Amino acid sequence: MSIVELSLVLCGISILAGALGSLLGLGGGFVIVPVLTLVFHLDIRLAIGTSIVAVAATSCAGAARNVTESITNLRVATFLALATTMGALTGALLAGVFDARFLFALFGIVLAASGAQMVRKRPVRAVPVTTPALETVGVAAGLEGGAGGGGLADRLALHSAYFDEAEGLHVPYVVANTGLGLGLMYLAGTLSGLLGIGSGVLKVPAMDLAMHMPMKVSSATSNLLIGLTAAASALVYFARGDIDPLIAGPVALGILLGASQGSRWLASISSDRLRVLFVSVLAVVAVQMIWKGIG
Amino acid sequence: MGKVLRVGVSLTTGLLLMGYVVGLVAEPGAFGSHAVEQAHLAGGARFPHSLAAVWDGVGHGNGAAIIVAGILVLILTPVAGLVTSAVAFARRHDWLFTAISATVLSVILGSFVLGWLSA
Repeated sequence: MSIVELSLVLCGISILAGALGSLLGLGGGFVIVPVLTLVFHLDIRLAIGTSIVAVAATSCAGAARNVTESITNLRVATFLALATTMGALTGALLAGVFDARFLFALFGIVLAASGAQMVRKRPVRAVPVTTPALETVGVAAGLEGGAGGGGLADRLALHSAYFDEAEGLHVPYVVANTGLGLGLMYLAGTLSGLLGIGSGVLKVPAMDLAMHMPMKVSSATSNLLIGLTAAASALVYFARGDIDPLIAGPVALGILLGASQGSRWLASISSDRLRVLFVSVLAVVAVQMIWKGIG
Repeated sequence: MGKVLRVGVSLTTGLLLMGYVVGLVAEPGAFGSHAVEQAHLAGGARFPHSLAAVWDGVGHGNGAAIIVAGILVLILTPVAGLVTSAVAFARRHDWLFTAISATVLSVILGSFVLGWLSA
């Protein structure tokens, strides 16, 4: 294969990864790293460097749309970005220290955990309410808020609302447990910097379950956060020479294309069927990655 | 902010494609050879990985350097979005969030410095 042929192959794989990622909410990282290491036998640090670029691409492809539609909670994103970028920096620096086999094993474990998460049915979080005044919602939060981050969320004015197009309703929501969210974001950021994944798998539940934000808002906000997380670790990998333009370049192009058009192409395919297929592949790959870590 | 993100994506795409076109036109041997592909996969390929090297390479019409430039634009696009949002916070006199945004920006810039130092 020549460079051009290799680039085309990588681009093609990335288009698929981007499309699947945007549909299933998993960043390109989970496809890119295993493919590059298990199929192409690329050094894992280069694979992770490439994957971070893929995460940046995933973020950019989706964020423009989400921000314009005001689904993203910019205040929560900005605040949580403190933790997530510091985590990413920690992770990226640690990656230079840890053994490659450890990275493989850790990647496999996180992969398995994401698969388990995808299988678990998520209950619908946001109960559509016809617009109560935001002040009323805020006061109620203050009354129940109490421990954890209820107070912090009030002081930072993180509570908000979004317009759910599917439901056709204006949905206000209250943010809780901000402190816990911060901690989880730091952890998610560290994993991102270490493994080159977006860590949406940690970020979305952190916002959805811990901070009580509606699913759509959590996804959109996570999408913005992974871009900042990627930026915080990518430059470390770049300076270390772990981002090969002839590998990361086609991947970036493919992800940009796949992530922006993906939901349109895959609209007809049953999301559940896709999820089952993806989880099975994920399981196999997880085992292989862990095997490489141990063997 | 959406506009900044969209501009970043367009700029990246343009640079990436241009890098390949320039590379193929200027160095058809390098881009076409099997040996080069092996070197890249084995992790032994040489390519610019400092700002100075990229700037230099782009100036000399080096395809790989242009691609690296495109990747750097991609990485920095969310950061540009953050700057835009910081300015928006400042305009609304929300100094707390302007400060938070500035702190995040300094962490990201710090990561660049640390990376440069550790390389």
